[in-house]
Amino acid sequence: MKNYFKPITRRKFLKSGIAGGVIVATYPVWKLFSFSAPPSDFYVNPVCNLSKETLEKLIKIALQKGGEFAEVYVEYNVGNQIYLEENKIYGAGRGVDMGVGIRVLQGEKTGYAYSDDLSFEKMKKAAEVAGHIAAEKEVKAPVGLKSSQIPSYYLVKVSPDSIIPQDKAKLLWKANSAGREYHKSINQVNIGFSDTNKKIIIANSEGTWVEDVQTISRLLVSINAMEGDKRSRGYAYKDGTLGYEHYDLKVAEELAREAGRMALAMLPAEDAPAGEYPIIMAKGHCGTFFHEAIGHSLESDGIRKKTSCFWDKKEKAIASEISSLADDGKVPGARGTINVDDEGTPGQKTILIDKGKCVNFLYDKLNAKLMKANLTGNGRRESYQHYPIPRMTNTFLMAGEDDPADILKSIQRGIYIARIGGGNVTWVTGRFVFSVPEGYLIEDGKITKPLKGIQLMGSGPEVLKNIVMVGPDLEIWGGGTCGKSGQGKPVSDGNPTLKVSKITIGGAKV
Amino acid sequence: MNYQLLAENIIKKALKSGADEAEVYLVADRDFELDVRNGNVETIKQATSKGLGLTVFKDKKLGFSYTSDFSDESLQEFIKKTIQLSLVADPKPWNGLPDFKKGKLQDLDLYDPSISEIPSEKKIEIAKEVERIALAYDKRITKSEGGFFGDSERETIIVNSKGISYSSKRTGVSFVAGVVAGEGSEMQSGWWGSSKRHFKDLDTIENVANKAGKRAVEKLGAKPVETQKVPVVFDRYATPAFWYGILFAMDGDSVYKKTTFLTEYLDKSIASELITLVDDPTILRHVSSVSFDGEGNITRKNVLIDKGILKMFIYDTITARKAGVKVNTMARRYGYRSPASAGFLNVILENSIVPREKIISEIKNGYYVTGLRGIGTDIPTGNYSCGSSGFWIKDGEITFPVDGVTLGGNALDMMKNIEVVANDLDLRGSLNSPSFKIAELAIGGKK
Repeated sequence: MKNYFKPITRRKFLKSGIAGGVIVATYPVWKLFSFSAPPSDFYVNPVCNLSKETLEKLIKIALQKGGEFAEVYVEYNVGNQIYLEENKIYGAGRGVDMGVGIRVLQGEKTGYAYSDDLSFEKMKKAAEVAGHIAAEKEVKAPVGLKSSQIPSYYLVKVSPDSIIPQDKAKLLWKANSAGREYHKSINQVNIGFSDTNKKIIIANSEGTWVEDVQTISRLLVSINAMEGDKRSRGYAYKDGTLGYEHYDLKVAEELAREAGRMALAMLPAEDAPAGEYPIIMAKGHCGTFFHEAIGHSLESDGIRKKTSCFWDKKEKAIASEISSLADDGKVPGARGTINVDDEGTPGQKTILIDKGKCVNFLYDKLNAKLMKANLTGNGRRESYQHYPIPRMTNTFLMAGEDDPADILKSIQRGIYIARIGGGNVTWVTGRFVFSVPEGYLIEDGKITKPLKGIQLMGSGPEVLKNIVMVGPDLEIWGGGTCGKSGQGKPVSDGNPTLKVSKITIGGAKV
Repeated sequence: MNYQLLAENIIKKALKSGADEAEVYLVADRDFELDVRNGNVETIKQATSKGLGLTVFKDKKLGFSYTSDFSDESLQEFIKKTIQLSLVADPKPWNGLPDFKKGKLQDLDLYDPSISEIPSEKKIEIAKEVERIALAYDKRITKSEGGFFGDSERETIIVNSKGISYSSKRTGVSFVAGVVAGEGSEMQSGWWGSSKRHFKDLDTIENVANKAGKRAVEKLGAKPVETQKVPVVFDRYATPAFWYGILFAMDGDSVYKKTTFLTEYLDKSIASELITLVDDPTILRHVSSVSFDGEGNITRKNVLIDKGILKMFIYDTITARKAGVKVNTMARRYGYRSPASAGFLNVILENSIVPREKIISEIKNGYYVTGLRGIGTDIPTGNYSCGSSGFWIKDGEITFPVDGVTLGGNALDMMKNIEVVANDLDLRGSLNSPSFKIAELAIGGKK
């Protein structure tokens, strides 16, 4: 997640072999020009408005050789970025992706084909190719399409795609000056604004026909500080399924100050001690941990294939009694929020762990059908080039009752995790490592020195049992792009203030 | 459609519409993917796709857009919008296309015409067979993560207004097995694969399957060890993550901005004399070879670290001009959705003559690392801290599997303390290194 390096997975190896042999995960693109998606002419683009008749025809063609289910997914996606570094607007960029993906399911089998050409001939070809997976079965007649209306959880009044780059540049300049004025040790300020605007149409042989427009925007400030031979970095961002009305000069200034505060705070940091310590995770900024180290192991594909450490834990205690975990696609304006998932199922809230007990998993259509479970609105895909798989939306540890001040006082010597960084988790064992871009030593119930090089290590199932205090102050904040099976997807996460009784800290000081 | 001709026409139109300079990077793919699990085909995916990225410079200002819509009318609008985008950027004296002479592309033998003729039945058979053998490797193997087969063809085209117009076709073919050993909290996964440009160059199904099985089983019962300082051997397949961090720190623009710990180290010693690190994308038939880089420079071998001395940083044209240094043809593209940026292409640590077994046999008490979690190196400071798994070495023998242990230190100290390099280099990807031993490193585990 969050563009952090991960050792290559099986799937990625296969993909990379195909794309040209990048065995190590992609090198971070240093400029922010890494579009993942998304125009003003967007809503009215005629090619993207496939008629009911066309969609029905394609579904019929996909099922002509048999198959239990067929689906057409159409996407038109426009992305914009603008980036400032070294006191200059580096550049502005824009990209358009469009295409159709057609899927046919039969039993455990999936046939998938896509086309970036929306001419009927090309789409027909894709439908035929996807249909090849099914053979010699009775042909099931598709149900006629029925359009469905869905409530919206996005906070978008002004589409960021309608704003000219010159206006977005004003935010960047404001953040740049506020960042540079913050302290004389600040030597680099980088700022980027990006937005993706994606229209999707989903139609399937069960009669589902739904459209959605998904907008995600982000303003990010990254600051480097230097003093003598000491160097540090701070960052801050605002993002979500948010319209441009959520950004103004004041927001830009606040983000720059926050990034500056973090860089300055970490400048004098000392090497972290290695060993086992109690830790506190600060509210809102450590949700990535629950997403990566726990959430992925509760996705139904790993459960069905029995390769997740929780596959046989339904209705069993897997966490301390004060721990509850949820995934909620309906959090207004959050980065992982969806009105519908990429199979047309409405977004919803799913309790995964209830007071320590594992009560549910996250499902897409295929796994829900094979496991005879209810849909949870978690069938998601990166683009028309991918078939859906179970994915999280906004994942968080739910609020508890312990006073955050008492939580801090309860620790004699430990580590305070102000922000958790990139992580790396082996889902089969739940073993993880997370970096900590901002962390402090706790001595006698007080936060004291800043620490660098903190690595949290352990296993997700172990940590769940060691959550001993949870505050009431849940915050869902930020997020990133989560990678799974070679597909990137926007997600968010959150947590209240919480204490883990012991965790292994890797640090340079032995 | 002749894409090279299309790209050349876009350049002409861009200049006519007011761009001073322009570049098109176009990619057209054909992909096939197949998943098998427990002997049954689970997924078949196939498609063709295409897209192009247009970079323009107008009054030394940069604009960039991409699109997958190649229709005439939308391309005309696309070109106009890209030039408009450049107007919002600030001018920079170093902006512009590379200054280079047109040369002759090397034929690196990256295209295997036989790949498009492999029948589906054979692909299915390979995926099923590699899974079957991996599952049968050991009775402690309990579950399958599947057998995979994939093949592809890619045409990459770069055309710019300085007269460069190159096209290259590559093929790729891969197969992979993944299995899980053990039960419950004792599960361990293992996977292995082979990925080549030519079908004939693939490893045997047996080798790949057995290696996947072995890698799952050998980790069963892994446990942490005490916190201590010991000699550490990095296995060749674990080393890419380490070198990745070092290469990231060698980014020319980060040096210019003084945000990397290697800023002051050009022509100075940063590693043991045993370390010679090159970037060589010109190796015949190799998966990471390319005949031209992301800006259309003809690729060549570059020496990055020569016997421990840091010889160059990694630049693309714009970052090199800004820093006032020579371009080293290491511009990379991550598909057509972003402009060129500096990056390594195919890095190799030079092999030595010492067998890895000999290195291990001479260690009394030490740690053989076979898996790293993350890159470990903090770029601004060079602090190194990384999660790892592997095996414990006692009296020259590998004893038990280890997991949940951090390695801690400083990347410069680590490179300087490389005492021996092994002879086991295996070219598998874009980062290739033999195993090596670091004299002493702090490892963190149980208190």
